[in-house]
Amino acid sequence: MTEESNSPMTDTDSTTTGPLVPEDITADSPFTLPGFFDALSEGRLMAARCTECDTHLLPPRPACYGCGSRAVTLSEQPRTGEVISYTSVNRPPSAFDQLAPITVAVVELDSSARLTGRVAASLEDVAIGDRVELRVCDPEAVDIDPDFDLSYEEEWPIHVFELL
Amino acid sequence: MSTAHLIAVGSSPLGKTDLPGRDLFSRALAEAFEELPDPADVVDGLYVGAQSERYENQIMQGTLMAEWAGLRNVPAERVEACAAAGALALKNAVRDVRAGVHDAVLACGVEKMTAGGTEGATNALGAAFERALEQRSGITAPATYALLARRYLHETDATERDLGRIAVKNHRNAADNPRAMFQQAVDIDTVMDAPDVAPPLKLYDCAPVTDGAAAVVVANDEVAADLQSRPDAVRVAGVGSAANNLAVAERDLTFVEGANVAASTAYEDAGVGAADIDVAEVHDAFTVCEALLAEAAEFAPEGRGIETVEDPGDRSAGWTDVQINTSGGLKARGHPIGATGLLQAVEAYEQLTGRAGKRQVADADTALLINEGGVADAHTVAHVLTAQ
Ligand SMILES: [Zn+2]
Repeated sequence: MTEESNSPMTDTDSTTTGPLVPEDITADSPFTLPGFFDALSEGRLMAARCTECDTHLLPPRPACYGCGSRAVTLSEQPRTGEVISYTSVNRPPSAFDQLAPITVAVVELDSSARLTGRVAASLEDVAIGDRVELRVCDPEAVDIDPDFDLSYEEEWPIHVFELL
Repeated sequence: MSTAHLIAVGSSPLGKTDLPGRDLFSRALAEAFEELPDPADVVDGLYVGAQSERYENQIMQGTLMAEWAGLRNVPAERVEACAAAGALALKNAVRDVRAGVHDAVLACGVEKMTAGGTEGATNALGAAFERALEQRSGITAPATYALLARRYLHETDATERDLGRIAVKNHRNAADNPRAMFQQAVDIDTVMDAPDVAPPLKLYDCAPVTDGAAAVVVANDEVAADLQSRPDAVRVAGVGSAANNLAVAERDLTFVEGANVAASTAYEDAGVGAADIDVAEVHDAFTVCEALLAEAAEFAPEGRGIETVEDPGDRSAGWTDVQINTSGGLKARGHPIGATGLLQAVEAYEQLTGRAGKRQVADADTALLINEGGVADAHTVAHVLTAQ
């Protein structure tokens, strides 16, 4: 095993295009949820990028649903993108009652990766094609019932999009 | 390979009932076996579809349902794929009968959704969505489907009123279905004036929270032939299933590719094409699903699935003359999650054996069922059923 395979790969330092080895998959790697949310806490939104078909997978995972390849590498994502679809959750799960109604959107980042998130705007102010930017929040700053979190999720940041 | 036949069906009352899950199952079982010997003398295995243990704090549903049916020391398993659990139970029963593992299998489904009120159902159903980014953004089932509906209305010339007309059609069908939760028609103004749930979806775009159970008996040629009291069994001619994306963000919002794969696989297995299907029960958990599934099943050209409400003669070129959701669909017949796929089979059985009363489609001899779980086709199970 090479020295490099002990640390998570990014697009800038990746030298491998094959499957992850077991030692790559630890809680400090963004290929796992703890590592993904650690990076997000520090302001880095990470996806896996398939080196075979260029599909972006967010959060990162060990194989590409687009083509089946395990030749995936980490890729830091842009924080800006556009609204693909949106709605309002008028009756959210009970842990989110304090946030209702919640505007949510599917956002396509400028890299082509997609993720769902809340939008910090009322429904009437959002339209398909709107430009948005990702903001990362301390979980304690978001009014979600703490009982919602599983024990290992308590420190994970919460993301939200802001209209540009 | 043995042929799999559907030889008997049953369902419980659907709606907000005073019966817990096991008792709902007892009702469905009693109807299915009304003219049959004891279950223990007919079936040698059981599958039960059940979405969530959160409703009644009960897992081990396979063992429980087997006991209630008088079955002992036979394989009895709960299967789970959110709202596709019922068809998954049917699929497994058909697979076992075809493979010769069992001569006959009981496929059933049950859900006691009203146990924790609307809030309990919302929280239980929320577990079907991707946890790390989507559940933690506060999404719900109506919201995920609203994301599909918004995009469908954006990419096609369909309108919110067109979606509402699907609800009107399905209520009209349910008015003629004695099994249905809502046996009354609604008009388009009522639908359009109803409160928003997750825009553009309003109250009547959404299937209800429903208690209910269903049970069907799947048997091989010999068992089907022996049970002369129900000679008009239907044949399960084709099966297909597929898993697609879990996260709504990562899926195609306007084409349910996994459902297309599942339906195509079932057609190929049965040796039929979309144009051969006379009646179809498709998973209209939200009105937009019926339009999307009409396209995925290749009944409708791309972007024209919304014409499901029109009489066959009034649809665009490229549409088949299929009649969709004659039962009233999930919207109006009711949607007890784990039982829904089997309630679809109940309707097909009634249509293909001439038992559908005022809903009867003349000369119906081939049916398609599409049952989905998670957002859209996160999991799809499709069956083709044919009259004997
Ligand atoms: Zn790929």
